Parts: sequence; C-alpha cells; structure tokens
Amino acid sequence: MDGASPLERYLERCAGQDDLSASPQLFTPMSPYDVDLPIQTTPDASFSSQFNQPKELPPDFSSVDLSFLPDISQDDREQNPSEDGQERQKELDGSVSRNEDSGIFMDESSLSYPDATQPSSETSGVCPPLTPMTPMTPVTPASESSGIVPQLQNIVSTVNLACKLDLKNIALHARNAEYNPKRFAAVIMRIREPRTTALIFSSGKMVCTGAKSEEQSRLAARKYARVVQKLGFPAKFLDFKIQNMVGSCDVRFPIRLEGLVLTHQQFSSYEPELFPGLIYRMVKPRIVLLIFVSGKVVLTGAKERSEIYEAFENIYPILKGFKKASEHGPQSN
Amino acid sequence: MAAGAMAAGASCPACGSSALVEDAHYAQQQLVCAACGCVLAEGLLTTTYTEEEHLREVAYSQSTGRKEQLSRCMQRGIRRVQDLCKVLQLPSVFEETAVSYFQRAFQHPSFHLVSLEKKELLGGCCVFVTCRQHNWPLTMGTVCSLLYAKKELFASVYLSVQKELELSVPALSLMDLVKTHLNSFRLFQRAADVPAPFVEDKEKMVARTMQIVELASETWLVTGRHPVPIVTAAAFLSWQSLQPAARLTCTLARFCKVAGVDLPPPAHLRLKELHEILLRMASQLAWLRVFKMDKKMAVKHIGDLLQHRMFLLKKSFCAEDAEEQRAGAQGEGSPGAAREETRPSEGKRQRDGGRRPLLPPCLIAPKKRLRTAAPSASDLAITGDEPISDSEIEQYLRGREEIRAFSRAKAWP
Repeated sequence: MDGASPLERYLERCAGQDDLSASPQLFTPMSPYDVDLPIQTTPDASFSSQFNQPKELPPDFSSVDLSFLPDISQDDREQNPSEDGQERQKELDGSVSRNEDSGIFMDESSLSYPDATQPSSETSGVCPPLTPMTPMTPVTPASESSGIVPQLQNIVSTVNLACKLDLKNIALHARNAEYNPKRFAAVIMRIREPRTTALIFSSGKMVCTGAKSEEQSRLAARKYARVVQKLGFPAKFLDFKIQNMVGSCDVRFPIRLEGLVLTHQQFSSYEPELFPGLIYRMVKPRIVLLIFVSGKVVLTGAKERSEIYEAFENIYPILKGFKKASEHGPQSN
Repeated sequence: MAAGAMAAGASCPACGSSALVEDAHYAQQQLVCAACGCVLAEGLLTTTYTEEEHLREVAYSQSTGRKEQLSRCMQRGIRRVQDLCKVLQLPSVFEETAVSYFQRAFQHPSFHLVSLEKKELLGGCCVFVTCRQHNWPLTMGTVCSLLYAKKELFASVYLSVQKELELSVPALSLMDLVKTHLNSFRLFQRAADVPAPFVEDKEKMVARTMQIVELASETWLVTGRHPVPIVTAAAFLSWQSLQPAARLTCTLARFCKVAGVDLPPPAHLRLKELHEILLRMASQLAWLRVFKMDKKMAVKHIGDLLQHRMFLLKKSFCAEDAEEQRAGAQGEGSPGAAREETRPSEGKRQRDGGRRPLLPPCLIAPKKRLRTAAPSASDLAITGDEPISDSEIEQYLRGREEIRAFSRAKAWP
C-alpha cells in the first residue's frame, strides 16, 4: 500500500484521463434552486478519518490537467456527444450557467482557506501557500464532491481449484467445514482471519464471500485452497476473479423516494408494498443502488471498487437535489 | 381437394365470432373458430380413389397439433385475464392492454418453463401492471387475494415481468388509493350490523382522510411504508373526528370490524405516529393552549389542525439539521463559535418545549445497530499475497482421534 487511499488513487487516475466520460461526477441538478454554497456542508467525522492526506501536490497548477472539469471548457463537452441519452446532454447544458456561478463561489470561498480553521473543507489537502484563486486539488469542484466514501461491506469471488474433490472426506477431516448433501451440494467452510465463508463444490470450483476488500478476498481464497491441499488434494489456484462487490454509505439527510421515482422513472423502481427502499439501476456504471428514506445507500453489482465510487458520485448530486426541495418547508407531493 | 372454404358471413355457433380459419389437425382438415377454438367442420371424406392416394401421413412434429397445445394454454390464460378485469370492473381498454401484455409475456422464452402456479400469476401481473400504468389504484394485496397467491411468489413474478418486458410502471397514487380503499368500508349506510353512531357521510370522510394522508406524507410517515395501513389509520382518525363525542371511545379494531375491512398489523403503529404528529401541532394552536392536551383532544380538533396545517407544521418542527447543530454545540462547548450558539439554542429549547426535527421515524428513534468499524490500518495493509503459515492452516484440520470420534458420531456409511 503506497499510503494513498483507494479513492485517492482512483481520482488521480481520472485526472490523467482526457475525456469527460470517466469524470467522477455527472452534474445533474434536479432542483430549480441555485447550487448551494460550498461552505455549507455536513462536517462528517467519518470523512476525516478515512480520507488520507494526499502525498504531494504540484506547487504550480499549470501542469495539472483540469480539462475533465465540466465548467472549464465548452469544447470538451461538445466533443462527447456519446453520453447516454439526450437528457444527460440537456442537463449538462443546463448546468453550465450554474457551474459558472459555483465557480465564482468557489473562488470567493477559497480566498478564505488560508485563514479559516473550519473543518468544512471538502477538498482534501488545503495548501496555504498556494494562490487561492485556483481549485486546490484535481477533484470535482467543492460544491459537487460529496466528501463521503462508500465503505465496502462484502466481496464475492470465485476460484478454480482444478481437481475433483471428495466432499465427504473434506467434511470429515476439516474442523471448519459443514456438509449437508440433502440441503446443498457443497461444503461450507469458514476461516477466522480474514473472516470469510467459502462454498466448495465437488467439481473443484469455490466461491468465497464475506471479505471487506479485494486483497482480503484473495488471501482468504488462498487459505481455503491451502486447507484443501493439506487434506491431500492436488489443489491449484486458477482464475481467481472478483464477481461482486457491495458497498454502503450514508448521505446524512432523509430522501423523498416518491419524488425520486417520479423524476428518474426509467432507472428507479419503488414499490413500498414489496420493499421499503428504492431500487435504482444505474446505466453507467452498471450498478444497482438501494436507496432508503433514512439516507442510507447500498451499492452492489460492481466488479471493481472504482465503479462503486463512481456510482455514488453520480447519485449524490441527484439525492442532494431532493434534499434542497424538501428543506423549503413541507410541500404536498 | 376443395375443402370447406372460409365462408364469409358464417359465424361460430359457440361464441358468435366470424373469425373462422381452416386448419389441419394431423392430416384432417378442420374449420375452426379462432376466438374460442370450437371446431365447426371436420374432415371431408374423399370421393374418388385419386384423392385418397394423394393423402399422406403427417408426423406429429410437423403437424399443427403442437401449436394447438400452446395456444390452448394461452387461451385459458387470456380468459383468466379477461375474467379478472370483469371482476375488478375495469374499463375495456384495460382488458385489451392486459391481454396483449399477457401474450407477450407468455411467448417470452423466460416464461416457457415456469411452473403452472407462476403461469397463473402471470395473468394477474399483467392486469396489475395495466392498472398502474393507467393510474388505477390496484394494490398487490388485492390481486393476490383474487388469485389465491402467495405474496412472495407474486412479487417475484411481477419483478421478472417488469424486467423482461421492459415496462415502466409508475408509482402508486396514494390519493386514488384512498378513494378506492374507502369504497370497501361499509360505513356509509345504515345496516343491521352498522349501528347509527357509526354511519358517516362518504364525501366528508373521503375528503378528510385524503387530507390526513397528505399530512402523513409531508411528515415522513408514508415513504418506505406499506400504503394500506396508513390509509386505514387515517380513515379511522377522520371518522372519529367527524363525530368525536360518540366515537372517541371506539378502538381501531372495533372500527375495522364494523366497517368490514381487514385490520393490517402496522395500522396501530401508524395510528400512534399520527397521534404524535397531531399532538405536536395541537400544542401550537393558540386557542387550544388552555386545554390539557392529550391525543383525544387533538383528534377532536383535527378539523382546525388540518385547516392551519402549513403554519402549525412550521411551528411544531424545526429544520432537519438544526437538531444536529444544537446537539453538536452542547456536546463540544469549547470552540468559540459553538459557545455562542449554546445560549440562544438553550433559550430556544425552553421556548419550544421540545421541538423535534421533521425526519422519518427511523431517524428519530434509530434502533441500536452494530456499526462495522472502518477498516483498520492493518486491514488496509493486506496485499493478498502474504505467506500463509502451516500452523494457521493446521488449526482447521482434525486430529486422528477426533476423526474417529466424529465418524462414529455421524454414522456415515
């Protein structure tokens, strides 16, 4: 681990890319109100504990590629007509004027950075000696980045041990295995560190679940393979692949799900008779989000960590738009 | 061979439709009605030897017998869909749409090998989707009870229909649901089992129930919850408030029994939540301050509360993050900015007498949950390629004695 958190690495990777399609945010403001001031944010404790300081920043920003920021240049936007759907294009067009406003706000606020001791700076790495008129870090403008990092809760991976296994034998010789052929045709094995569960099939294929990171999942799968080896089978470790990643986070404000399903009908499914949350199927990246009224969001269906972060950065402005609409007094739906 | 040609003008004796088709059942010509499947004319005896010689056997796989099998099932399903529409008294437009959805779903490959139970639910799903698309407030519960189906099975069939046919289903309109749900309440006419104090005017009750449901929706009681218990609780409150003297002593259970309606279990909780909201609002109403405020008093004055609800909601509930700021200020106390806030916020607290933020109930009273800790530094340092020690693996393996004891206990062959 090189000291930077995974989110850092992902954002740095985005900074190196030219096209907008990889930008971590697609600004789709839903509210008719102006974009909020960047200073007015929720000062979360979780943010400061998880968000490491970046290792170094170029002292002069002329070399940093900021072309992915949507409000910087009209040309970049026009070169990307391939964004899905015309509505995205329309929303981007509509957001230009507001981005310019937020740009002004950001400049004003950044003037106060060297002086303020407020913990409300969402952008990481405030460097006082720099000229305050430019954005601080190669990240989305302060008014749009959420400052919340989804936490990974579960990783599902598969691996091929490439040998036929005698499940009864394994269940007999291993302490941490359970095998009920009438209920399920696989051995269920668990290890304590990392705390995971594996399903081992007689064909030699194995599914490993419960890890909190990709590396942990790989380590756990290797340990299971070792156990099987020690039991006398010629197990190998082929085709290790992460199949699914689940993350969750909290946006810290309640969400009007009925309103969200009205405005994003083609992506959302909200059936309070069946399930209390709203199921949002994001197209790019292909992630399913479960959004609850309490503000908690569960993201699943990712094959890579970056997809979860990207999906959350996409949904956060949408949800934030709903917060503003509801804060202006109770309204009839 | 001149078989009976399609006689223009002839109609089927069974259903009266004029859509007659010439079809072949194995090698036998038949005149069949396309609507109901009734066979009008069957097979013609050949009159000359040459005609006989030209007849050939048709293998079953090439005959139309196979097509018939599927269409008979489809016809049965279509008839079921039509019956459902008639029972629910839906307009004829709905019936056509539902039948077309059913045909599409039935022919979709993912529904070919589905169990018979699920196929029956398919018809109900199509009717349900059609109703929702036309904003006709039909609940899943109603469809399930009509089909004698399990709710979970219906839910899974519904979700797969929605996905496979790529249908967009708009959300259930709560206001329309109020109207249709109240239709089933037997309170609007005097009857043998409905005593006089229970009878109520339908228009007034519907109007007031809709207002209470709207209030519930504004105060976060509706989002994420099943809609029917809310409507039941709101109907009860509106019914009570229209004649409080006689009805305040009646319980929700008795009300539902007399009205001939099921009492869904969450309705009690919704009622409690609504009482709490009404109490807060009533405590802000100037001319009620002289009374000792309890929930019966609040229900009695629901009319006034609903009339001034905008103003009362603003006074009764503070903004969502005001509570956080107040809590934060009281907690820290040391930073200069926070200290300035404590005094005015304390004063505000005394004035308000416990104003709470307008939040969903799950945020007001969060259940204690085990919070998984953020990944520790050692967790983050794992690369996945660390060496695995033998001792660690051996702890998971059984010793010989243990194996013997275990196999004896398990009695595996």
